[in-house]
Amino acid sequence: MLRYFLQRVLVMVPTLLIISFLIFVIIQAPPGDFLETTLAELQARGESMDQNQIESLRALYGLDQPFHVQYLRWLFGQWDGLSYVKGGLIFGDLGYSFEYNQPVADIVGDRLALTVIVSIASILFVWIVSFPIAVYSATHQYGLFDYIFTFVGYLGLATPSFLIALILLYFANIWFGTSIGGLMDPVYVGQPWSAAKFWSIMEHMWVPVLVIGLPGTAGMIRRLRANLLDELNKQYVTTGRAKGLPPLKLLVRYPLRISLNPFIADIGSLLPELISGSVIVSVVMSLPITGPMLLTALRSQDMYLAGSFLMFMAFLTVIGVFISDILLALLDPRIRLGAGAEK
Amino acid sequence: MTDIGQQSGSNGNSRGGSLLPHFVNPRPFDPYDVEKVNPALEKIYMASQWRMMWLRFRRHRVAVFCGIVLLAMYAAILCVEFLAPYNQHSRNVDYIYTPPQDVHFFHEGSFIGPFVYGLDYRLDMENLERVYTERTDDPRPIRFFCAGDSYKFWNLIEGNLHLVCPPDSETPLFLLGSDRLGRDMLSRILYGMRISLTIGLIGVAVSFALGIVFGGLAGYYGGWIDDLLQRTIEVLRSIPHLPLWLALAAILPVDWSPMLVFFGITIILGLIDWTGLARAVRSRLLSLREEDFCVAAQLMGAKPGRIIFRHLMPSFMSHLIASATLAIPGMILGETALSFLGLGIRPPITSWGVLLNEAQNINVVALYPWLMLPILPVIVVVLAFNFLGDGLRDAADPYR
Amino acid sequence: MKHLRARISRVLGLVLAAPAVLALATLPALAAEGARFIGAPLFAEAEKAGDLPPVAERLPEQPLVTDMPAIGRHGGEIRTLMASPKDSRILVAYSYARLVGYDRNFELKPDLLESFEVAEGRIFTLHLRKGHRWSNGKPFTTEDFRFWWEDVANNEELFPVGPPAVLIVDGEKPQVEVIDEFTIRYSWSQPNTEFLPALAGATPLYIYQPAKYMKKFHAKYADPAELEAAVKDSGQPSWAALYNRRGNQYRNDNPKLPTLDPWVLRIKPPADRLVFVRNPYYHRVDRNGRQLPYLDQVVMDVADSKLIPAKVAAGESDLQARYLRFDNYTFLKKAEKEGRFALHLWEDSRGSNFALFPNLNCNDEEWRKLNRDVRFRRALSLGVNRHEINQAIYYGLGKEGANTVQEMSPLFRSQYRLSWSVFDLSTANRLLDEIGLTERDDEGYRRLPDGRRMTIIIETAGESTEETDILQLIKDSWRELGIDIFTKPSQREVFRDRIFTGETIMSVSFGVDNGIPTPDMSPKEFAPSTQQQYMWPKWGQYIETQGASGTPIDLPEAQELADLLAQWRGSADADERREIWDRILAIWSEQVYSIGTVTNIPQPVIVDKSIRNLPDQGMWAWDPGAHFGVYRIDCLWRELAPEALASLSPVEDRLQ
Repeated sequence: MLRYFLQRVLVMVPTLLIISFLIFVIIQAPPGDFLETTLAELQARGESMDQNQIESLRALYGLDQPFHVQYLRWLFGQWDGLSYVKGGLIFGDLGYSFEYNQPVADIVGDRLALTVIVSIASILFVWIVSFPIAVYSATHQYGLFDYIFTFVGYLGLATPSFLIALILLYFANIWFGTSIGGLMDPVYVGQPWSAAKFWSIMEHMWVPVLVIGLPGTAGMIRRLRANLLDELNKQYVTTGRAKGLPPLKLLVRYPLRISLNPFIADIGSLLPELISGSVIVSVVMSLPITGPMLLTALRSQDMYLAGSFLMFMAFLTVIGVFISDILLALLDPRIRLGAGAEK
Repeated sequence: MTDIGQQSGSNGNSRGGSLLPHFVNPRPFDPYDVEKVNPALEKIYMASQWRMMWLRFRRHRVAVFCGIVLLAMYAAILCVEFLAPYNQHSRNVDYIYTPPQDVHFFHEGSFIGPFVYGLDYRLDMENLERVYTERTDDPRPIRFFCAGDSYKFWNLIEGNLHLVCPPDSETPLFLLGSDRLGRDMLSRILYGMRISLTIGLIGVAVSFALGIVFGGLAGYYGGWIDDLLQRTIEVLRSIPHLPLWLALAAILPVDWSPMLVFFGITIILGLIDWTGLARAVRSRLLSLREEDFCVAAQLMGAKPGRIIFRHLMPSFMSHLIASATLAIPGMILGETALSFLGLGIRPPITSWGVLLNEAQNINVVALYPWLMLPILPVIVVVLAFNFLGDGLRDAADPYR
Repeated sequence: MKHLRARISRVLGLVLAAPAVLALATLPALAAEGARFIGAPLFAEAEKAGDLPPVAERLPEQPLVTDMPAIGRHGGEIRTLMASPKDSRILVAYSYARLVGYDRNFELKPDLLESFEVAEGRIFTLHLRKGHRWSNGKPFTTEDFRFWWEDVANNEELFPVGPPAVLIVDGEKPQVEVIDEFTIRYSWSQPNTEFLPALAGATPLYIYQPAKYMKKFHAKYADPAELEAAVKDSGQPSWAALYNRRGNQYRNDNPKLPTLDPWVLRIKPPADRLVFVRNPYYHRVDRNGRQLPYLDQVVMDVADSKLIPAKVAAGESDLQARYLRFDNYTFLKKAEKEGRFALHLWEDSRGSNFALFPNLNCNDEEWRKLNRDVRFRRALSLGVNRHEINQAIYYGLGKEGANTVQEMSPLFRSQYRLSWSVFDLSTANRLLDEIGLTERDDEGYRRLPDGRRMTIIIETAGESTEETDILQLIKDSWRELGIDIFTKPSQREVFRDRIFTGETIMSVSFGVDNGIPTPDMSPKEFAPSTQQQYMWPKWGQYIETQGASGTPIDLPEAQELADLLAQWRGSADADERREIWDRILAIWSEQVYSIGTVTNIPQPVIVDKSIRNLPDQGMWAWDPGAHFGVYRIDCLWRELAPEALASLSPVEDRLQ
């Protein structure tokens, strides 16, 4: 197991490195550098800077350096010989936001944590909803409800989430009096955690979680159903049935257990999907998570901020996949022994 | 044969242990009979792979239906100018935010064909609301195959023939309502369809090309190239698509014209989505190489060219087409999302995403809900592509 | 339609012309009699515990006594919605505590100052209130002014191009004399008419800073090692950058920065909920001697600007106008019927709701040449069908015309509005032909001299569909001129930067901010004066930086405007100022530097039913006016049962 664990960690590190490189290329792509774009605004505010100051700023942030140096600094921070000076993503320094004129870490606040919470809640939602439906559909294949669920599932896949979000937002307010947008009642923003705050978050969370989770749920039902069907058609099931095992026991004992694997294995494909969904839904609903800030950062070309968010999202998925792989290995010895590693 | 079946069936059920009635079929027995085929079966056995795919696909009713719907839609985008009652940008300032008009057939009990009622317009100054009321005593028959807004068909031929036109110059025909500039939603949706559906096709073409090249390389050479590609795909798949699309869309130069942006967006959508196809190509190539028919062909002395083009290609093309079909809705939704967030296609080019972006506003939800109608074609198209893709995938696997 | 219009004008007429409803007056009798001042109950405990001095000691010796229609009581909060955490600055505008400020009749009155004297339009003597204190309890004295002038404005690192342009007359800095602890004098050898209006601006000129606090960040005063550590800690590039971050009174983003405003920021931005709690040392009282503001706190919730109308309708804001647009009216009107809030329409003071700005400094040579050709600008303006825009987008409620002063301004003349702004395609086409743009392509579009099709890319900050709709309408009518346009939306910062650097050929944005100037208000919006002017950003920058950056003006008419502006600033004579204004407006309207569309679009204002002292009708003006600023939100109070009020009061832990 330890070997497998280490192996997975070893795979994860280069993956993250490659991702970070890709992201850095993207955020470096627009012409000009960040200072030029913010310079005008500074001047407009009366905080004028002269050319020397710009140059010194540029030097300070290493914007005068060649591309690879900038990249290395962004990732590993600034080093003076062998002694660490400052910065670097891997040391938790997310860089400097030129739009807010502050270190990124000071701006993001709770957003990263809330993103994780929303993502986890969405995964739970997907699991809880898709499990019974998939089992029902598989055991009642081609039944009326199977068709209905399949259709609803496809519908969930096909409907752009942002519009559902907007509509639900409006009606959640009209029907339940939930305050519009955000993840909690404004009163609790910035307040310490309390039961009331938690309840308020729960009250607000269902709309985004529902909307973010819906497409994922549909996919999960499809996969789980197919898996379970495959399993149910296997000979040991027929044998079991022939030997007179009670249907429920027969279902729960083996096929269900085996077909549960995708629950965990699919985190890898589910997470990117959920995070994509959360970006758009959070923009529509003005949720205090990474999405809206990423969008404004991209629009105003505040590229370090955008890069940090992109990196965070990628990191979240990679970690998610990693955890799912580890869990899967715990569940299924075949995988950790290397037999089933290649899907 | 059926006799035997029934008899043995009843025998099986009888538990008496009495002597089984014995029956011998008097017909001559030919052990190779099973191998012989009647003409109908022969058709199937001798059918080409494509034909077999078609035969299987035909049985999937929903998929066939969806295929027809999609074909009709793609046919429609060829002649949007004719189908749309108005031009894309024609506006009628006298009819702003007109709700969808009802089409009636009977007026005061008598049938007079499809018609709409004339509209009375009143501005409610208290609420600043435009109120439209139907003059129910004033039926105006809708015209068909008629002269309306003039257009340049495909930017080439001048014309003004429309399938349906408003009854007359005073009475508008807004079957799906009109927007804030008095533009016909139906026409805008139809014109938007042209862009949105094209994006799906071009995007898939891009990712198809990339997928075949990369997947082909990996499948053909194997070894470290394969490994490298596999890892790259894994990395790409672990990055959430939408943020990546957004980031790429954000770096499109600001001074590109809307048309260039359109192509830029399409290519971006295709650029990230090729991984699935590349995987499909690779695994197909790898597994097909080992298939019996391939080995058989080799043993029979077929040259590699013939094996690839005659045997391998068709069998994995069908698969690829199925995968591609399933990839298109993702692209269409991706475009919608990007445009919705304001980083996608820009007016004056109209896509469904652009239309929905304009509907992203509480006024619309509360007061002008018909502006959200472009959501329906999006759902229909995505559903149709999904069902069609499922059908194709099932059909593409003739030996399953 | 007529009815609404008439109602608005009638009420506005009242507001503007009738004697002040609210008069600001100091009542020396009050203090002399040793009248009792009433402090807010919020501070009762702190007073008892000795953390705060009693209210009489917190107020200046001569507090400013404010008159208002309904005298109120302490307590409660108001919530308002903002779209960005950076909007904490908006409360600085709304609070409108200035050295001198405009009243509702747009006359200048002392506010933070006890009084001021102006001699010959060039010598300004400012008298501070004795005993006036910053929100941290430290005295507000002339030292704060001296510090700012000597150590900040004239510090090369903090102000690399020298003190703000408004303080420079003809290249001359003011002479600043500290007369005593409460008296300071600014004098120039020539009049500086812009000095007082700048102090009263919505984005005011701050000529003082809390010296005691800011010295901690100033290289001249602070301990070098400590300062260096602070700079490093904050991730700022230099001490100057750190200083500017900590001491930006307008941006109001440092909770530790002492202020003179009625409410003090309590939360460190960026946050999604900004809380401002009453300033214990605020200098105003009501007639009963009750210290203002009435409201204990102001809360700003940050939400996406697209959601704000919906949230307002759901009753999540007590006072809102920003981010509500005219097209939200119908929706809000429906929500108003639920009875939580009242919906008013205020008059808008802009010269034009939206205007097009041909960039005379754009980089593209062909377009620059055209943009500078007055015939071209006139032709474009003539080609805009303003009536259609008005009908289609504003229910015909707006007034159609050029981007210039409005009827309510004493400087208004109808020809300013009408000149080159009546839809006339044939004249427009003739003008374009005259310029020599006669080549056309096969689709009938004109060609530029270098053969390109005349496609103008008009950039917008893309914040409202209104802009895109107007452009769509303009596109159709300019098609008849043989000119095509594209709209390119970008984020506001990017949008501005592109204009400043000359990449933009033409932009669309709000028209003249102050459409109702008097001859005593600066005509700076009508002449090159700042980079923020989208028709000539580089000339404006040149003037603004006194030649340090930007490019010098090279068009005689624009130069004349700049000269006239300089003359106006140096003019102590009221008649002369009026004459200068007339000439400026005449040139402005003949030259069509910006292409106006429709003006006088009412601004929806939402106010909770329990809030008192906000007029139903008002002028929604940024500068002068500071939006709600001149309507004094420190006088707002909520008429609620005491329990209801108590439930709206700040939680104790927020005060810590």
